[in-house]
Amino acid sequence: MSSPLPPEEPKKPSGEGAESAQEPSSAEKSTRETTAKSAQAHAEQNADKSADASAEKKAEAGAEPGSEPDGDSGGTEERGAEEQLSGRRRLAQSLWPPKVTRAQLIVALLLFVLGLGLAIQVRSNSESSALRGARQEDLVRILDELDDRTQRLEDEKQRLDDQRTELENSSDQAEEARKQTIEKERQLGVLAGTVAAQGPGITLTVTDSTGAVEADMLLDAIQELRAAGAEAIQINDVRVVAGTYLEDAEGGVRVDGRKVTSPFRFKVIGKPQDLEPALNIPGGVVQTLEKEQATVAVAQAEKIVVDALRRANRPDYARSSS
Amino acid sequence: MIAVLGLVVGVVVGLLVRPEVPAVVEPYLPIAVVAALDAVFGGLRAMLDGIFDDKVFVVSFLSNVVVAALIVFLGDKLGVGAQLSTGVVVVLGIRIFSNAAAIRRHVFRA
Repeated sequence: MSSPLPPEEPKKPSGEGAESAQEPSSAEKSTRETTAKSAQAHAEQNADKSADASAEKKAEAGAEPGSEPDGDSGGTEERGAEEQLSGRRRLAQSLWPPKVTRAQLIVALLLFVLGLGLAIQVRSNSESSALRGARQEDLVRILDELDDRTQRLEDEKQRLDDQRTELENSSDQAEEARKQTIEKERQLGVLAGTVAAQGPGITLTVTDSTGAVEADMLLDAIQELRAAGAEAIQINDVRVVAGTYLEDAEGGVRVDGRKVTSPFRFKVIGKPQDLEPALNIPGGVVQTLEKEQATVAVAQAEKIVVDALRRANRPDYARSSS
Repeated sequence: MIAVLGLVVGVVVGLLVRPEVPAVVEPYLPIAVVAALDAVFGGLRAMLDGIFDDKVFVVSFLSNVVVAALIVFLGDKLGVGAQLSTGVVVVLGIRIFSNAAAIRRHVFRA
């Protein structure tokens, strides 16, 4: 009797609490498993202890949602291991065959509300402007910033406006100067004979059938006209300018090297009331020419066109001194 | 399963229907959502621990939301709304993380 007992006795402590109905081998196996798992769980617990403990403390200190678990740290290590085993299974169980229970329905309702809030919040954050959810003090700050920015931009606009006005003025001035330059160029062109001119004036036609008219007579006529205020003169198709010269030639007169023959047709722009008497004064141009058997006709006109042109030659030596 | 479906349906309805939120509750919605998230994570952990109770869940969910909104409301009245809501979000975030750690240990055993 005593001999079979000793082998059983060492088993007792390890199989302590083990049901006698179970066969020793299975009981021993489960115990070994449990201890192995408990060691594992112990290691885990140690690893996570610091974070877990602090989190747990906070959770318990704060407004505790009653659903917060409390068994994890308080329970024995074996129990923790069992729960880790069954937790996953419970999750799978509750997930797959869908059971319509009161708890599920209530949780579904609350989660529906949560999802609704989540979606609304996400949408309002991403779609509408950030101002929508902003609180009052933020709005005041944003408004202040906008005011500052507006002020800065207004200042800048003012500055740029001033600048633009300045530039426009200066460009107006430049435009004015350019116009004046063009006007002056035209006036000088009329004097220099490089542009056509028109205006009131007279025509003087000298018909010379005998060839008695010489260069000095025409020069006298030009001088007289100039003295009477002629502004542009052309003889036949030669423009008379400051540098014009006349010389006698075979059967006519050479003006600026171009031969001009009778009838000499003067087109003169100037004040007709001054020009005509200047030619007709006693002992003047007309009488002198008529004495030489030439026919002279003077006619006033409202519009005389002097369109004979000279090339504008750049002087070789003379330079503007200003 | 029904609960998960509820969440999905809620998100879909929120995105499709686009309900207008009254301007009065609008500032408290984000905080309330975070508080509700905290309650949901707590409930999930409790379920994994096997001590889930729907009544407790409902009460914790509602009280979390109400308390969070109340704190923000009070903060707005006191002029420290921004700071207080930041504080609430931090606290709830810590709780969510600790619950998530517990859930992770249950599900992945790691």
